[in-house]
Amino acid sequence: MTKYFAGVDAGSTYTKACLLDENSKLVTTTSDMTGVNIVAATKKVYQAALSKAGVREDEVSYIVGTGYGRYKITFGNTQVTEISCHARGAHYLFPNTRTVLDMGGQDTKAIRVNARGEVVDFCMNDKCAAGTGRFIEGSARALNLGLSEVGEISLKSTKPVKISATCAVFAEMETQEQLAYGNKLEDILYGVHSSIASRSIGLLRRVGIEPELTFTGGVSLNPGMVRCLQEQLGIKLNTSPLTMFCGAIGAAEFALEKTLAVAI
Amino acid sequence: MPELVAEPMRKELDKAKRMQGDMLLSYFDALSKSGVTGTKIGYSFVMANPIELLATFDILPLFPEITSLNISYRGGAPPLIAQAEEVGYSTDACGYVKMGVASIMDKTKTSIGYIPKPDILFLSYSGCQIYIHWWEQYHYQTGAPIFTIDVPYLRDYDRHVPKHDIEYVAGQLEEMIPKLEAATGKRFNEDKLKEIVRLSGKAWDLWKECVEMGKLKPTPFDAYFESIYYMAPITFARGSQKCVDFYKFLLDELKLRAERGIGPTEREDYRLVFEGVPNYPFFKKFWGLFSHYNARCVASTYPKVAGLVDTGSFRLNPEKPIESIAEYMIHAYCNWNMPVRTHLIERYVKDYRADAVVIHSIKSCRSFSMGQGDIREYLAKELDVPTLLVESDHVDPRYYSEAQMKNRIDAFFETLALRKNRSQIN
Repeated sequence: MTKYFAGVDAGSTYTKACLLDENSKLVTTTSDMTGVNIVAATKKVYQAALSKAGVREDEVSYIVGTGYGRYKITFGNTQVTEISCHARGAHYLFPNTRTVLDMGGQDTKAIRVNARGEVVDFCMNDKCAAGTGRFIEGSARALNLGLSEVGEISLKSTKPVKISATCAVFAEMETQEQLAYGNKLEDILYGVHSSIASRSIGLLRRVGIEPELTFTGGVSLNPGMVRCLQEQLGIKLNTSPLTMFCGAIGAAEFALEKTLAVAI
Repeated sequence: MPELVAEPMRKELDKAKRMQGDMLLSYFDALSKSGVTGTKIGYSFVMANPIELLATFDILPLFPEITSLNISYRGGAPPLIAQAEEVGYSTDACGYVKMGVASIMDKTKTSIGYIPKPDILFLSYSGCQIYIHWWEQYHYQTGAPIFTIDVPYLRDYDRHVPKHDIEYVAGQLEEMIPKLEAATGKRFNEDKLKEIVRLSGKAWDLWKECVEMGKLKPTPFDAYFESIYYMAPITFARGSQKCVDFYKFLLDELKLRAERGIGPTEREDYRLVFEGVPNYPFFKKFWGLFSHYNARCVASTYPKVAGLVDTGSFRLNPEKPIESIAEYMIHAYCNWNMPVRTHLIERYVKDYRADAVVIHSIKSCRSFSMGQGDIREYLAKELDVPTLLVESDHVDPRYYSEAQMKNRIDAFFETLALRKNRSQIN
């Protein structure tokens, strides 16, 4: 019987899950909005992963939970922080990764990793959510746009607007003010992405930027953010449609190895 | 590795904290009864205070930093902070200042009782830039006179304080004597000062022996979280026999713990050096985030804000009381320049065989927290010492998010576990 290993990442905005087989091959990934009931969301996303892959529950040998809601993953065997998981997940997808930038719904992490994908050093934004995905969310809401659209639209910018604020609470007000000045939608959105990018680069510099740099978390799917980061850093970032699952993939890797689980 | 210890044994060797608590309660009691007893209250700072000279005139010192942290520890910070913000203080202003100012507003009762107003304000201006404005505010509130002592900053400090700096501070202390005579109606008694300085010196020597017990492996105590309790008497009771007795008791207790292999956690899996002011509103929870991993602090800087006792930088001398108090005052921790502060932490890592450094930065105190990002960078990048920097506040619970704090601390210990496993394999 094939054995499977699961990782479930209960993030502030999305919950993600994935399954690896015993050869560390990625079998499936699933995701859904976390909402208010974290326990229900994690169960639902995990069950979806099982049915998508056609795997029975008893075929899963070990489950590692990660993300802010990791202690709510009642069916999991152990928990590992998303810092360690994103590092491992990024290394899984891009083995030459030495620096990880994880941008999620309410925090941003800069992580330096070694050749084995283990965390060497990390820095995060403080309690304030300024400069995280939440700012982009607020701007999207102010412009009545979906989160998946804003990045694409920002790519059309020809005359970027300079936005100095990154406070998530004032995101809507800041965006509406720029609209009132008569600025174009795409130029405002470019400014939004650019201001978040420069704040994240500050975090990256604190741990030291060593190539290759892998961009993970929900915001890594946003092409506008990828472009701004690449322009400001002057290097190419690793991203893929799977980078938003890095936390879950890393968790499944830990489930497979159980090394850290035993150590802690 | 020490064997598991039964709970009653732990309690038996954890009496010094209770003793400290009792001393603190009787100190607060004396403060609250000062109106009845007619004792003069002298407001003073924890850093760089001439408490020995004040005690010579029977002035009872009140440290708003100590009352505020105790109020906060007992959950009483939010109403005082709100009261200060209602009269116009910014959310960014120092939490100690806001609590101190609010705690003597009319009819304010704090979680440790009524706080008496000052008769005299002793302003030892060292390191912290807010001190002068804070004391001015008290002056506006109460009309109490401010006696200022300007302490020169150790900008180019290389472990030698220029003689003229000591003379400068000693001269100001001497000038203060006739003012103290006038304010208290008591004549200056040099022999009394010498005796107080002698007792003070004795307490410092014993405290030094206590903090250096952290060099033992395993350490018999947590040199940060337990020292937060142990550090109080060296500030508010210094110069008394009671203070000497306390540190004698503590030293004996720690020696006994060491003999029996007992410590504050079940085992000692990690040895940490801690920098920064703690989070008082969530103190025990915050400690729990580290003790959960069987981590013990072996050395720290903050419990030495009252005096850098283990650096050989000052020594109280009853034969030269004023000069030695002056020398002590110049060596306040925040009066040291950043490179010297950084190298002290570096020395702690080496001498105390620490695995990592944790820095707790606080939002509303920039004099303590400034430069901590650079300290982190130096330790992590130049020395390859794993260093975690977390941020909240010393008194304001609004800056604390347990989920975020736990996340960072958990991740840090995951990294330390991997590092430890690797070094064991190699």
